[in-house]
Amino acid sequence: MKEKLKSFRELGVICVLIALIILLTIARPVFISPTNFINVVRQTVQIGIMAVGMTFLIISGEMDLSVGSIFGTTGMLAATLYKSNVNPTVAFLVAILVGCAIGLLNGILVTKTKIPAFIATLGTMKIFRSVAYAISGGQSISVFPESVMNSWVFKMGGSLGPIPIQIFIMAVIFVVAGIVLAKTETGYNMYATGGNPKAANLVGINTDRVKIMGFIISGAVSALAAMISIAYLGSVPTTAGEGREMDVIAAVILGGASLSGGRGTMLGTFIGAMIISVVKNGMVLLSVPVFWQDGFIGVVLILAVLLDTVMHRKDSRG
Amino acid sequence: MGAYIQFRNITKKFGGTTALNQVSFDIQEGEIHCLCGENGAGKSTLINLCGGIFQPTEGQIFIGGKPVVIKTVEQSEKLGISIVHQEIPLCLNMTIAENIFLNRKEAVKGLFLDKKYMNEEAAKLLKRFQLNLKPTQLVEELSIAEQSIIQIAKAVYYKPKILILDEPTAALTDDQRDVMYAVVRELVKTQKTTVLYVSHRLEECMELGDRATILRDGCFITTRDIKDLTMDDIVTLMVGRKIDRSKKRESYVRDEVLMEVKHFTKKRQFEDVSFQLKKGEILGLAGFVGAGRTEVLTAIFGANRPDSGELYLEGKKVNVKSPADAIRHRISMIPENRRDDGLIASMSVQQNAQMVVLDKIKNGIFLNKKKSDALMTKMTSDYLIKAGNPSNPIFTLSGGNQQKVVIARWIANHPSILLCDEPTRGIDVGAKDEIYGILRKIASKGIGIVIVSSELPELISLCDRILVMHEGKITGEVGGDEATEAGIMRYAAALKDDYQYADE
Ligand SMILES: Nc1ncnc2c1ncn2[C@@H]1O[C@H](COP(=O)(O)OP(=O)(O)OP(=O)(O)O)[C@@H](O)[C@H]1O
Ligand SMILES: [Mg+2]
Repeated sequence: MKEKLKSFRELGVICVLIALIILLTIARPVFISPTNFINVVRQTVQIGIMAVGMTFLIISGEMDLSVGSIFGTTGMLAATLYKSNVNPTVAFLVAILVGCAIGLLNGILVTKTKIPAFIATLGTMKIFRSVAYAISGGQSISVFPESVMNSWVFKMGGSLGPIPIQIFIMAVIFVVAGIVLAKTETGYNMYATGGNPKAANLVGINTDRVKIMGFIISGAVSALAAMISIAYLGSVPTTAGEGREMDVIAAVILGGASLSGGRGTMLGTFIGAMIISVVKNGMVLLSVPVFWQDGFIGVVLILAVLLDTVMHRKDSRG
Repeated sequence: MGAYIQFRNITKKFGGTTALNQVSFDIQEGEIHCLCGENGAGKSTLINLCGGIFQPTEGQIFIGGKPVVIKTVEQSEKLGISIVHQEIPLCLNMTIAENIFLNRKEAVKGLFLDKKYMNEEAAKLLKRFQLNLKPTQLVEELSIAEQSIIQIAKAVYYKPKILILDEPTAALTDDQRDVMYAVVRELVKTQKTTVLYVSHRLEECMELGDRATILRDGCFITTRDIKDLTMDDIVTLMVGRKIDRSKKRESYVRDEVLMEVKHFTKKRQFEDVSFQLKKGEILGLAGFVGAGRTEVLTAIFGANRPDSGELYLEGKKVNVKSPADAIRHRISMIPENRRDDGLIASMSVQQNAQMVVLDKIKNGIFLNKKKSDALMTKMTSDYLIKAGNPSNPIFTLSGGNQQKVVIARWIANHPSILLCDEPTRGIDVGAKDEIYGILRKIASKGIGIVIVSSELPELISLCDRILVMHEGKITGEVGGDEATEAGIMRYAAALKDDYQYADE
């Protein structure tokens, strides 16, 4: 039993999350009220969904800095299409496909031209940030036609009883992704690719295909996050998604994934994303100035990873 | 001469497994002391205690009569201990000279590294080990044999008081081994260096050692003078029972040609290599390191594209572009270097063992835990894998057991052709015989096997036919029955007159 508990990798982050929740509840009891807590989970949706793609990638030994720009570009694109009365389903699909295409581009750059992911996706991040501005002409986009507002695409921003529909969407994505990662050959191949690409290749795994698939998923979920965001906010701000990549990567790392690949879980990532939104929400409740938010997330990130290494140092050193 | 290193009641536990159990014995100053035991007996663990990698759970080590605590690698080095570990930890991205002087004060002049001094010293060292390499070559370009020699050279360079070698020769040819013997003997003679030597090639212990200590399942069995022991005695002590090593070779060669390699050529690696493999045949590839044997195997497996040449499987021309293609054609390859090319360190024993056989443990698209566990149980018993808990990380297995995992995986894949590159590297005598048995058994079912090995006795006892390579070319062929070590060596060195006879 004790052995089992020790090998439970998410234990560290779960402790951090519970500690944060307890501390915040003591300081501001309203934190744990259903309304506020549901709100915290809803705030997890954006980062959480995007972190699913990032988890696949980081486990496969890559990363994607362009997710925030994909969010921006696909968001602006869909909003423009909505505004020009294109069938909302078509607009939605176009946005997701564009997300996939940018992912494919990242994947091809990284695997075929061998440009390191950090550099390749830093490049596409800059490129698609500009594209997003170009589409919107540097303006935010809001006020959509009635027909679009009433379509299913905008229902994603609504609620089912007290619970926002986007929470259900996130839950489904995490469960499916978790199963793929833990229980299928695809997941297995991702762990192997990140763990030792050379050995993975020699056991017949097409490591390039595994990585490209990771980039495509990452692009797709970033676009989906953008669609949900438009539906919820009813607008796309000029800087949509800017800086988001760092929160997303932080969530994955908090969740116990290793940047050198081969390690990480979906449960861990979910908890990591939760920690980030708990911290953000808590700071607001405690009326800490907003500019401290990032700093505090940084502290939690370093502490959580430290805790994880200390807890797991034992089994690697004997 | 008194006891120089004393182990007293050393116990080392890893969670539930006891790797060493109340081990006590002495090593005398200036002797070559061999440590023998099966895979997982605890040899590397004991060495890691001396190297400051692990601390003993209980017990005390004494050096020169004084109790010592070795908490870090640095402390171990301060005590004059130099270790060549079983798995080679060299920095692949650095040069030979840089590796030799890694974290050493000798090469630092003021704020800077004295590259000239480093390269000169490294060149001398390479010469002493008769290696035809430049100090400025990157380590990643070297074969594993060369890498292990660099490791040994590095350990010897600092004139240690205590030199510990954990299977240093596993990847070496006989010639390279003789060079190493000479260097070690010289150290012992001139500086009274004390040597602790681990090898599964017992004939090495017989030749080099003064005394031997035998461990079994983490327990101390006995320490004896080597001259009072025979190899069979050591084996019996290691396993705790007598084993019969005189199994006769049987041939299962059938008439159908399974694979034909035609004119494989790759610049600077191999030239015009052609041979046939019949069903049920065990074909050996002998030769010195650098003769191109590994390169030919990896070329067949699609991991190393040849410049020209054709591959035929059962008469049909095939184009194997990647290992995935090769596996689709039912070719398996046990790679030479298990750590870099075989195993995935971040995954468990079970995951590593079932890498290529996922199809067999799937229900629809899901991997089935029950099937996977059942397969693991079968693998552990068929291949004598000593693994406490298969869900532990792969590196918690002893070196030999890691190798067995790689072998088990590739045979479980039911290949029709099995390529093996030094398949028994680091495997103990008992398990070796078991693996030979398994290879013979799959050959009897019609599977064709190609084995690259630097251990000639292994090739001679196993193979129906042995091809000998020299500098990328096949220089000779010997039938399994008439094969002798001397005969093979002559082709491997491509001695002039024999070479001409071979062409006739
Ligand atoms: N870090 C670790 N965690 C858990 N168990 C370990 C660890 N290292 C070694 N062991 C276990 O300790 C035992 C002894 O291992 P050790 O590596 O000392 O064997 P060995 O005698 O060197 O074998 P080989 O000949 O195969 O190299 C094995 O059962 C192994 O599984
Ligand atoms: Mg060992």
